Amino acid sequence: MKLFILLIFMIVLFPQLILAESDYSFDLDEIEKKPYSFGGYIEARPVLLGFDKDASLYKLKLYNKDEGETAEEYNATIQLDGSYEKGIARINTKINFDMQESYLGWSDTLSVFEGYLSLKPSSSFSINGGKKTLKWGKGYAWTPSAFVDRTKNPDDPELALEGFISLSADYIKSYSGALKTISFTPVLIPVYDDVNDDFGETGHVNFAGKLYLLLYDTDIDFMVLAGGSKTTRFGFDFSRNITSNFEIHGEFAFVNNFEKKFVNNAGDTFIKEYNAKSYLFGIRYLTELDTTFIIEYYHNGTGFTEGEMEDYFSFINTAYDTYAVSGNYSDLQKALNLTEGNYGRINPMKDYLYARVSQKEPFGILYFTPSVTGIYNINDQSLSLSPEILYTGITNLELRLKTSFLVGGRRSEYGEKLNDYRAEFRVRYYF
Amino acid sequence: MIKILFVFMSLMLAVPAYALDGNELLEQVDRNLNPESYESYKKLINIEPDGSKKEFVLFTVKKGKDKVAAMFISPASEKGRSTLRLDENMWLYIPNVGKPIRITSLQSVVGGVFNNADILRLDYISEYDVEQVEENGSEYLLYLKAKTNTVAYDKLKMWVNKNNMLPSKIESLTEDSMLIKTLYFKEIKDFGDGIVRPSVVETDSPLYKNYKSIMIFAKIKEKEFDDEVFTLTFMPNMDSLR
Repeated sequence: MKLFILLIFMIVLFPQLILAESDYSFDLDEIEKKPYSFGGYIEARPVLLGFDKDASLYKLKLYNKDEGETAEEYNATIQLDGSYEKGIARINTKINFDMQESYLGWSDTLSVFEGYLSLKPSSSFSINGGKKTLKWGKGYAWTPSAFVDRTKNPDDPELALEGFISLSADYIKSYSGALKTISFTPVLIPVYDDVNDDFGETGHVNFAGKLYLLLYDTDIDFMVLAGGSKTTRFGFDFSRNITSNFEIHGEFAFVNNFEKKFVNNAGDTFIKEYNAKSYLFGIRYLTELDTTFIIEYYHNGTGFTEGEMEDYFSFINTAYDTYAVSGNYSDLQKALNLTEGNYGRINPMKDYLYARVSQKEPFGILYFTPSVTGIYNINDQSLSLSPEILYTGITNLELRLKTSFLVGGRRSEYGEKLNDYRAEFRVRYYF
Repeated sequence: MIKILFVFMSLMLAVPAYALDGNELLEQVDRNLNPESYESYKKLINIEPDGSKKEFVLFTVKKGKDKVAAMFISPASEKGRSTLRLDENMWLYIPNVGKPIRITSLQSVVGGVFNNADILRLDYISEYDVEQVEENGSEYLLYLKAKTNTVAYDKLKMWVNKNNMLPSKIESLTEDSMLIKTLYFKEIKDFGDGIVRPSVVETDSPLYKNYKSIMIFAKIKEKEFDDEVFTLTFMPNMDSLR
């Protein structure tokens, strides 16, 4: 808590010092390149949660606690970026330190998001070895064809993610004519105990590849992942500007022999194997009044049906009733295990609609951007609605106030979340 | 009769020789502003009505008529962001987000009066045709019309100094001739290697009353780059060009 207050104090203090300086001069010192660079941000993010005590996930996660109607959560993050360059070689690092004081107690996590060596003998060829995020796919909220990345959170898609240890190369060739660019990115991902062990089954070296084309002013990617840690999968994406203010994009992913583990309302577990097809179609549209619309439809072929989710929630409620009567929490423990990485993954169902509307600098207020984001579960008609305001008018300081309201009936995805609403204020200072 | 016909034909053929070729003038303006392929450093300053300001420093590279890329050097919040333009295709790469996303010419990656088309500017001649030229004392007034509907501004009015063939003012207009912004070119400076051009471009807009944006050039240097530099795959590596 003390650390949290200190962080806020520092963040607020720094910009005042910065505002006191600067003029219209442009010295050559400002553009001098050094072999090393160091930067990053510190962030403070207090959160207020409004619990839904009747929700299945409240019963599952807080069955033996009484937290009241609301809870506060204090988050702080320090992210450090550094690089050193000599000749054709460059070392890059990104280290993330998350701290949280919440109703669950204190927790902190230190992660190396990235740490890799890059060799660049020419502008058309480079090779990278180490921990790196590759960020494939064209979707804004979801990227089903990003086979070698961690799943991003559609609620905050621009957050940095941790990479995997890999060896990759980029080969680029440019042409004149309809085909302007071809690039090929082969990737090797070893998965062993203590090396990428959260990627998939251990004991394999996986191969992934991406072929990129800029053809007829359209970005096109073809992706593949094979090697044993996950089942073989193929992907395709595209993106194109139709006019200067209208962009369309899409993705398709085919996952061979996907195994879906699910539970019935009595607690019996089943595994179903099938070829899963996921796809996404989206637009980005800017109006004359500087309003930006991002709309995406996502079909998650690996997701659960409405019936499967209802069974899962029913099982949790039965397990909770058993606990309430007898104190036996073994079924709740079983439900928790099923939740981890399965029912508990981000947007676990089949069909979603994402819409984000943001207004740049309304009423002539520079650097001020209000927006509203909605994620609608088409299968069970539940909804997450998040209005937010963002202000970036002070150099290197970003202020964001965001609220989220979760709406949905019983046995629906958003209706059964732990909380009904949340409000967070994020203060981030870059250095 | 043959004599009359000869005189008539001579007069007809002679007229184009005296007419001003607007597109040729525009090409001269382009070449005087910068070489066809170059690297440069520029600072953008957004000034609010209360005098508070925000600055951005960019490293820019350009090749030929349709390729330009820029990378933010400062402030820290924007450092490493890069933008790429291939003809009318534009992308933004944000280090945290990772993959480049498509952006539009009318958006602004810096906020304020400058939009992406102003920051990633191609040669005027590659986007506009000169429809009409007027001579006003020491200046030409060029009326420019966008070649396609994907260009950010449908029309431009460009005032060009006859002596140095550099623009002094440009008005950006919609198809209905509504003024969107005005650019004022100031403080001519010798950047070396024969590049003599305005080092400051001021912008204001009736859409942003009392706001002002300024672009200051520190270095402009003729330089050749591989085509592969202007690709999505290369965007995270732009700093290696400096």
